[in-house]
Amino acid sequence: MPSSTSNSDAPLADEVAVTRPGFVRLTASDRPGIAQPVPVRDIPARPWPRILAAALSLLLIAMGTWEWRMRALGLQAGDLDDGPSFWAEQRRRIDEGDVAIAILGDSRILFDTDLARFEKVTGVRPVQLAIAGSTALPFLEDLADAPKFKGLAIVGIADRSYFRGSGGLGAVALDRYRFESPAVRLSFLLHRALSRVLAFLDQKYRLNALVRLLDGGWRASVQLPINERLWKLGTVTDDRQTFLWARVESDTRVRAHQRAAWGRFLAPFPAATIMSTVERTRRAVAKIRARGGEVVFVRPPSAAELRPYEEQTVSRAEGWDLLLRRAAVRGVHFDDYPAMQDLVLPEYSHLSRACATVFTDAYARAIAGLTPRLTLHADAPPPLSPADCAVARPAPYALND
Amino acid sequence: MVFNSLTFAVFFACVLAVHNLPLAWTTKKINLLIASYLFYAAWNPPFVILLWISTVVDWWAAKGLVRAERPAARRAWMLLSVVANLGMLGFFKYGQFLLDNFSVLLRAVGVDYHPPHYGIVLPVGISFYTFATMSYTLDVYLRRALPAQHFLDYALFVTFFPHLVAGPIMRPTELVPQFAQERRATADQLCFGLALMTLGLFQKVVLADGFLGPIAERVYDQEAIPGALDAWAATLAFGGQIFCDFAGYSTTAIGAAMCLGFAMPDNFRCPYAAVGFSDFWRRWHITLSAWLRDYLYIPLGGNRHGTARTYFSLMATMLLGGLWHGASWTFIAWGGLHGAYLAAERWLRARFASYRPGPLVLPALGLLTYVLIQLTWVFFRAKTFAKAAVILRGMFGLNAPNAPILPAIELIICATAIVGLVGAHWLMRAQTLESVIARAPASILASTWAALGFAIVIEQGAGNAFIYFQF
Repeated sequence: MPSSTSNSDAPLADEVAVTRPGFVRLTASDRPGIAQPVPVRDIPARPWPRILAAALSLLLIAMGTWEWRMRALGLQAGDLDDGPSFWAEQRRRIDEGDVAIAILGDSRILFDTDLARFEKVTGVRPVQLAIAGSTALPFLEDLADAPKFKGLAIVGIADRSYFRGSGGLGAVALDRYRFESPAVRLSFLLHRALSRVLAFLDQKYRLNALVRLLDGGWRASVQLPINERLWKLGTVTDDRQTFLWARVESDTRVRAHQRAAWGRFLAPFPAATIMSTVERTRRAVAKIRARGGEVVFVRPPSAAELRPYEEQTVSRAEGWDLLLRRAAVRGVHFDDYPAMQDLVLPEYSHLSRACATVFTDAYARAIAGLTPRLTLHADAPPPLSPADCAVARPAPYALND
Repeated sequence: MVFNSLTFAVFFACVLAVHNLPLAWTTKKINLLIASYLFYAAWNPPFVILLWISTVVDWWAAKGLVRAERPAARRAWMLLSVVANLGMLGFFKYGQFLLDNFSVLLRAVGVDYHPPHYGIVLPVGISFYTFATMSYTLDVYLRRALPAQHFLDYALFVTFFPHLVAGPIMRPTELVPQFAQERRATADQLCFGLALMTLGLFQKVVLADGFLGPIAERVYDQEAIPGALDAWAATLAFGGQIFCDFAGYSTTAIGAAMCLGFAMPDNFRCPYAAVGFSDFWRRWHITLSAWLRDYLYIPLGGNRHGTARTYFSLMATMLLGGLWHGASWTFIAWGGLHGAYLAAERWLRARFASYRPGPLVLPALGLLTYVLIQLTWVFFRAKTFAKAAVILRGMFGLNAPNAPILPAIELIICATAIVGLVGAHWLMRAQTLESVIARAPASILASTWAALGFAIVIEQGAGNAFIYFQF
């Protein structure tokens, strides 16, 4: 045998004798240079079946109590967590073909679009591909490279999101779409099924997130990213239909916290970044048009309290107007339409549940006026007006209202 | 698939149910083999082919070793196994690293070479199963063990899902004999196995992913320059995270195997209570350090050829051990630092052979060991040397005053978790978990078990991959 079986051959061995009374079994570290024997694992002599039964009972009681508490806080069963797998599922619909309308963008167009209303007005239910906290640009470029997409892309813009050109949550979602393992896919489907019956399944109400909420801001000037500053903001149902969470409308404390999370000054975007974004947009639009598709931009409302911060970062003239001109696209800016004025923005950035329906109605009609790619349905209901959502609806309301 | 996923929960329930059906033992083994392939394929089906290659090559290499009579022939069969396994590992894991370094080398001599991006996906757990299959051939070559008698038993040893992708790295002599006779867990084994799985998942889902991981990410993955408090907190948090991540995986794997009636070896024994670095490596990732010792350090000469050769073997083993963890110079630096620690300890032990630490010095040496180990994690966690330098400068107070990065609550979380973790390791440094549990009242065990399970449920893990999967 060429190899030694001496203990001194163990490079990592502790050569100081250590008393190990509880170590009832040796490990490979105690047996250098030999074939390791079958491990022996001792089972502590305890009444295990009874312990398991008791632990399971306690667990069920704790879970029941927790579920009750979470429902009391406003969480609802059927509120499905959004995430990369959910987005990838919708994105794959593009590859299946025959998608007439896809919505891209950030949280504004995501929260402010009522898919059912859009369908009532136009006869077409769009595929919702907007992602909170993300610029639409990489997704527009992705869509431009999707050979089967020949429909209308509605790109929602919040200037501070879009003109930064990159960043946000986009990469994760696109990566998940490009490769999603069977295990991840199945876990997503199981989680979604459980979310339909358990209210406490909510990423914003995970144990560690709740513990982190205990921070009292004791370390001054710590800068947390926006997604951590924000509390729960929305609810998500099938087809990624997302609306503002009822508690943001009804709870002044929650609303005040969310408002405070937005209003921060950002340095103006460099002109080069804006120009690069515009140029990339122009190329993506050209690709989609070359296949027979079309692109329209939409700027959803933001509150007067938030608008100055946005204008400081990138003004309408330097951003929106330039984009439409240079990329030769048409767009719907809420500033320009009376039907989009005076809508309710409880936390300054996203429309109330009721006003999302009004805004959707208005922008769907506006787009139909801009491009023949979208027409009003023969049985379309009469237009809504801001008055239809001016009065706050009683809360809470059902998710699928 | 990962243990901390709903997919695994369903998968494992099905495997347990099928394993307990009144079927012939061979049928049950075939079921386990199919289940293990499904477990692996659920990540990326085509890579099951790699498992087959690794399985078949070593099976035939061991057969050839037994038949061969001339030493040269035996060596050739052994080399076939080593080259095939390390070749596969090299191609998938180190290809990009080698290409990058080759192009740097060429640029250093004036040749402007820009290779295309390698674009190869690293198969999950390839480092683990290649080491497991190599140990099979090497044990036969070293005449430490006979080859398996049945291909089914051997194939199941390679693919057995609890250890397949992240260890513990099992030797064939530890697992193949367990397939000879029918294994079915008793009620106590099943319950204790489930308890171990709960403990492992608590470590992974709640401590590693939920509480500690984000603290390390906030400092290591951002541009901001950390001060001393943030740099230390993030590094200690990562030290806790990687232990809870990997020890959590091992504990879950041991529990899953136990539920099926199989025994797997310990992989961690309270490593943060180590006094000295040789002690640390007897407690941290035991199956890897023992593998490196048996198949690398000893063949390199071990300590049988003089002092200089011993130090060379030690350093070479640790550098390669570092490289095993990842295709990056930062991992090699991590291994090199551990090699230097071990060499220094060996020198000190020889210089002060009669010294035995007293009751006060022992914890102080333990604390020193712990702190020095944490310093090595900087190279393990930082993606570049530049980032490692920033963190180290921060830890030694050499960064200019900057805005704090971590909110106070995360400092509290970090301190609580680390004091709890290190304290638990010290309390249990000379005990097994089983010996502690055996003395605990049943009511405490039930309450603790329920609390751990409840914490896992309400943490709602996002199914993050275990850190060691990438190795």
